[in-house]
Amino acid sequence: MIIDLIQYFFFGFAFTAIVSYILLAIISAFETVDYMKKNSFVNYKEILSSSISPSVSIIAPAYNETLNIVENVRSLLSNHYVNYDVIIVNDGSKDDSLEKLIKAYDLVKVEYLINDQIQTKPLRAGVFKSTNPAFEKLVVVDKENGGKADALNMGLNISSNKYVACIDVDCLLLEDALQKMVKPFLENTDSKVIAAGGVIRIANSCVIKDGKLLDINLPRNLIVRGQILEYLRAFLLGRMAWSKLNGLLVISGAFGLFDKKTAIEVGGYDTKTVGEDMEIIVRMRRHMEEQKIKYKVAYIPDPLCWTEAPDNYKIFISQRNRWTRGTIETLKKHRKIGFNRKYNTLGMISYPYWLIYERLAPIIEVLGIFYFLFLLINNNIKWDYAIAFIVLCYLFTVMFSIITIITEELTYHQYKKKGIGIRLIMTAFLEPFTNHPFIVYAAIKGNFDYYFNKKIKWGEMTRKGMSNDSISKIKI
Amino acid sequence: MVNLYQNIVDYLKNAPEVIQFLWALITTLILIICSLILYLKHSRSRLRIKERIQKVYQKKYESDLIEYLYAGNEDNEISVEQQQIVNYFKKCSTNRLKRKLIITTLLKLRNEISGETADAIQKLYYQTEMMNSAAAKLKHKKWNVVARAINELTQFEIKEVHDQIIQLINHPKREVRKEIQMYLVKLFHFEGLDFLNILTTPLSEWDQIQLLEILQKFDDQEIPDITNWLNSSNDSVAFFALKLAKIYNQFEAKDAIISLLYHPEKEMRIEAIGVLSHMGAIEAVAILKNNFDQLSLDEQIAFFKMMENMHEAHDEEFIIPFMNHVNFDIRVSAMKIVKAIEIKKPNAFKIIPSEKKYPENTALIKAS
Repeated sequence: MIIDLIQYFFFGFAFTAIVSYILLAIISAFETVDYMKKNSFVNYKEILSSSISPSVSIIAPAYNETLNIVENVRSLLSNHYVNYDVIIVNDGSKDDSLEKLIKAYDLVKVEYLINDQIQTKPLRAGVFKSTNPAFEKLVVVDKENGGKADALNMGLNISSNKYVACIDVDCLLLEDALQKMVKPFLENTDSKVIAAGGVIRIANSCVIKDGKLLDINLPRNLIVRGQILEYLRAFLLGRMAWSKLNGLLVISGAFGLFDKKTAIEVGGYDTKTVGEDMEIIVRMRRHMEEQKIKYKVAYIPDPLCWTEAPDNYKIFISQRNRWTRGTIETLKKHRKIGFNRKYNTLGMISYPYWLIYERLAPIIEVLGIFYFLFLLINNNIKWDYAIAFIVLCYLFTVMFSIITIITEELTYHQYKKKGIGIRLIMTAFLEPFTNHPFIVYAAIKGNFDYYFNKKIKWGEMTRKGMSNDSISKIKI
Repeated sequence: MVNLYQNIVDYLKNAPEVIQFLWALITTLILIICSLILYLKHSRSRLRIKERIQKVYQKKYESDLIEYLYAGNEDNEISVEQQQIVNYFKKCSTNRLKRKLIITTLLKLRNEISGETADAIQKLYYQTEMMNSAAAKLKHKKWNVVARAINELTQFEIKEVHDQIIQLINHPKREVRKEIQMYLVKLFHFEGLDFLNILTTPLSEWDQIQLLEILQKFDDQEIPDITNWLNSSNDSVAFFALKLAKIYNQFEAKDAIISLLYHPEKEMRIEAIGVLSHMGAIEAVAILKNNFDQLSLDEQIAFFKMMENMHEAHDEEFIIPFMNHVNFDIRVSAMKIVKAIEIKKPNAFKIIPSEKKYPENTALIKAS
């Protein structure tokens, strides 16, 4: 009887997960087609050149970025949007990042009025601006180390613009990224857009020169390839649907645009969590629901931001470990909204989905493996059932990945080179073995670390660097 | 091999129904995956072929167009060679992709040149009946077809379809409305703004910025009376009119803008304060100063921003208490105003009273 119940539980979980993926994919497909139709004849150049376009601050925290900081800042300054500034927050770097910036951009210390709306660690060397008019959009803030969230909060305090784009300093933003991101904020008339997120694409093996993406390649490394597929699945077949349902719970920390006033109203980024990108969105949404203000978290499916993904298991596991802890912290902190009708889609769909299919899924999966082992030891496995289910799940995963590749082909067609198609298909078959087990392991480790190893915060990632061969360390 | 197949068939025949169902599902998934792989391969090659075809046709249409432009005769009648090219383009335009390529080719060249040659391209657009087909699409039931047609008609500057297009001004789809607004303003300049009188749907910020950008490109900057729009029951129209008032310094509309200080929408009141500040409307200062306590915090901030440029010496007494206001923006504005007043005073080296809890007061003095 108990064994039957356990089996029904695992079967029910797998079945509902598959159904939810299919539903999300269908909604995404419709939404993507609609988005493509709507934006096929939009002239972004008119907004691009307009001096009355809304002002945006790009906030990029930097920690020990000495090897690439000058190049990365140059890339951020090469955006084609008119009304923007770039705020680099040097978060207590122990290296010579600040000196390099001072030298490269002719920076001088200035007296700057800072509106301390959000509590942050104090300034260290102060605020710097360039004496060179070519870099007038650049503001560099040097402060004591307080972590990424604290650095972003300092950026929020410094910014005098209406919108803030919070990005990782080593991300490559495409030149038209800001006007595409700002569009939903200006376009929506029936609800207030509080944040917008874009697609993050993986830049490993791509050719980048002077902050511009010149050539898109598929890396040889299987872990990276698996992540490419994983990102495509999440961004093209997942988030698009959540955006349509107005249930998006996370905007990637690598690139997101926020309504500054709302971000400050809710108190900025939470410095106590390692998942600050998800947490701020949940808090902003919760705030809007409680205020009973109609709002939207928008999502742009265009590939606007390219970043480097971990290319070895150690860093990959460390990154996923942090994502898991971030999810646990956020869901725990905002548990009030879960299954609470007062919070509409947020409480009744988004939160439960994240709790069951993101937070609990790896745990259920591992329990399933233990249960399987238990049956194996007791020689109680019905092999014909087990094999059929395993094959079925594997094939569904492969099919879903291939649908993702087709979606990418029919929409943005970024991987144009001959031979990439077949390599992506191969990745779809291999990814369940090369990436998934490590994701599950990292998630379980994340759970363990969250409950029993509170000291762990961020991991360190050794980056190859997207613009040259240099290697730098950054927080992931 | 035959034995293996037979064994599998026997196994499935004797297996429980659930197992039979699962293997049926597995077979279906394998078939789907194979089909998807074939489809992916096909679509990748099709995209590559499409790109090649596009390049070939683009080149062909460009050379045909050049030929058409140079094949004209002096008596302005269509020559035989030109007629052949018109017929060829007409035939090609029945295909969606080819039509798109022809349009792109025509527009590309038309945007690079002017005068008679540009007129000849416009004429070709009529002769190939592509203009008629675009106009016919205005009645299409799919919104994206309508929007694309309007976009094309705008680019070719076809004014004849104005009456048909204006009827769609309150179209339920935002994208169609946006294309109509662009059509009207690009082709009829400030006169095109008359649509604001009949617009019942919201005009988004995005639309407003695009329209203002287009308007600013015209040589003739004679703006019509905007008072009606300022008083519009459609708030977005009034917002847009405020932007027009600011950019085109519409002092004649000052009274109408002042009346917006009493508008029920807070955002409208704040925008009005900004415009009045830009215009230097001194009467607004008195009104806002008298009602200061009734203003919302955002309006108070806007008022102080206004005062930074429009203060007078006698305002000092009113401003000084705000140097210790709880709000940062008000505090900084108050400091700036008092400092500006003090500087203007001859031999005035008065110490400004300020509380130490606000460090920016000292910083401001240093910064300035």
